[in-house]
Amino acid sequence: MTKTIRFRREAAMAAPVVVFAIALAVMQRIAGAWTWLPAQTVALYAAVRLLVLALPRQWFSSLPERRSRMWTPALFFFFVRHFLSILGQEARRVLIARSLALTRPYGPGSCGSILWSVASIFRRSLTRAERFYAAQWLRGLSE
Amino acid sequence: MTAPLEVKDLCFSYDSRPALEGINFTVRPGERVGLAGANGSGKSTLVWCILGLLRCGGSVRLFGGRPGGGALASVGVVFQNPEDQLFLPSILDDVALPLINRGQPRTAAHTRARTALAAVGLAGCESRPAAALSLGQRKRAAIAAALINAPALLLLDEPTAELDGRSVRQLKELLLGLDAAMLIASHDLSFLRDIASRAVVLGEGRILRDGPAGPVLGDSALLLEAGLI
Repeated sequence: MTKTIRFRREAAMAAPVVVFAIALAVMQRIAGAWTWLPAQTVALYAAVRLLVLALPRQWFSSLPERRSRMWTPALFFFFVRHFLSILGQEARRVLIARSLALTRPYGPGSCGSILWSVASIFRRSLTRAERFYAAQWLRGLSE
Repeated sequence: MTAPLEVKDLCFSYDSRPALEGINFTVRPGERVGLAGANGSGKSTLVWCILGLLRCGGSVRLFGGRPGGGALASVGVVFQNPEDQLFLPSILDDVALPLINRGQPRTAAHTRARTALAAVGLAGCESRPAAALSLGQRKRAAIAAALINAPALLLLDEPTAELDGRSVRQLKELLLGLDAAMLIASHDLSFLRDIASRAVVLGEGRILRDGPAGPVLGDSALLLEAGLI
């Protein structure tokens, strides 16, 4: 395999993780709550990928077919599934609170409040995800 | 005069597990009703049903109408988790939002919001986001946001949770000075004794007793049955 092909393959594999990390960083920037989670995500991916490359291929022979079309999306969903469920719960709570605060859904302040409430959903979800991560770490289930 | 809140035969289940059954009570104008119950007795679920956020059986009437946009305009709500209600860049914006939405000029709305925040002991914290405040301060900001529209009915879900002694005292003074009808869901019996004129005791999703706050909240056997002591 030429170097160019190999580099493209690695880049394609890393793309979803990098896109996720960039999106996360942008959302954090909007919400004004910066954490190291985006950088940690990319660093963890890189570390795991290097480990996989360093280990003998036979060790992974029992894993599901990696070339199937659903492999990358399934893996991506697996990594972010907890974050997505938190995101859903937080979205419901914030949008209910917003609807109770506004007596005129299209009155002054409604447009700005929807932008801020959406941004706050991400901030709150990240805080909860961080708490979950910290709890897992304390129980020895992370890192 | 129309009752601010009328609940008839209300029932609600989470999946197949009944959470509330046969709930009947009325909150009359200016009346302060304490909804006492242990953890998991259905207090928060009842508040959510009253607001129309959960689909329940029976009937809920807010000012004679069904829960919805118009009726909710006269209702102030404080949720158990104050973070739910604070999402703007500063608590001043959060508290002023209902006024701005009703068409008040921004400057006037901010002036009133500052007064409301000062009344709950948050003078000087106006420009801070909710995330930068302690849980007790967030609770007080949520209370200020609920009171800003001078609602005719206040629904307070565990208002004293996370508050220190001084904040509880300030909250008591604040609520006692209001003319609004109130439904205060709490397991803080001392707070309810001081503030409520009537008490409804919930136990396992049913009303165990509804009557004057003094005798009801002084009945040890009842409180033991409800898991409150």
